[in-house]
Amino acid sequence: MKAQLRVAVACVSACLALAAGAQQPSPLDAVPEKMPNDIPYGTPISLERAQAAIAAAVGESKKRDWKLNVAVVDSGGRLVAFARMDGAQLGSIAISEHKARAAAMYRRETKAFETGVQAGNHYLLTLDDVIASRGGIPILDGGRLIGAIGCSGATGSQDEVVCRAGADAVKR
Amino acid sequence: MKTRPMLTLDDCRRISAAAEAEAKRNNWNVCIAILDDGGHLLHLVRMDGASPANARIAVEKGRTAAESRRSSLVWEERIKAGRNSMLGMPGITPVQGGLPVIVEGICVGGVGVSGVQSHEDEQIAAAGIKVLG
Repeated sequence: MKAQLRVAVACVSACLALAAGAQQPSPLDAVPEKMPNDIPYGTPISLERAQAAIAAAVGESKKRDWKLNVAVVDSGGRLVAFARMDGAQLGSIAISEHKARAAAMYRRETKAFETGVQAGNHYLLTLDDVIASRGGIPILDGGRLIGAIGCSGATGSQDEVVCRAGADAVKR
Repeated sequence: MKTRPMLTLDDCRRISAAAEAEAKRNNWNVCIAILDDGGHLLHLVRMDGASPANARIAVEKGRTAAESRRSSLVWEERIKAGRNSMLGMPGITPVQGGLPVIVEGICVGGVGVSGVQSHEDEQIAAAGIKVLG
């Protein structure tokens, strides 16, 4: 009887210790002085530049013999131009647009979500319309966000290489 | 095995450029969407000045034409003629401006345009498809 009691007390102590551990300050409690990604929205991207971004991305993808879907959205996250390369997978049509939209709406590369989720910040997946996969990059002009490009169809890392080629071709 | 023609990205670029030229000639700002025979987006351009709604509507008109293998006008006219039940057809946008792309007697996709009056949208779509010969 006494031995059982001792075991029970030990269990309760262990539980309390765990609870105390959980109450240690979380890195998310920190309040930085400045807010991140404080990028103003600019004039929506023109079709000409959107098509230049797509042409650069498709060119990069073709060079590597990859088949991707490439979408460009404006500063409001709405589609301006889209191209599906011959043989690109159908499921990635929506993903490419989603990546571009998320990059515009959250003013950051979608890789930021992927990195966050990989690091254990699963709450990121509860934010509206997030896609935690790299390959969505904002397009800036003079420090203002005018649109975003999203690529999908290969691995995330391959999508990102093509996406970067598209974004770099039109940034100013 | 049966084989069938399909649209390439190059075909889409030619269709889109011709449609855009037709719109520009008339000083119209529209969105032009091209879809394959499964109703999946292949190519889209939204000209400067065309609205976000135009982008969505162009895709849906094009999808209606591609999947039903007929002009979206056919659906509009059926409803106009009193078949109100057609309003409930799943995935159908019964508004003129979406045309099927027929090659060798086979529907290989659809072109949807939105931005001006519906008959003008269709005129742009037709000008695009015409480049295929």
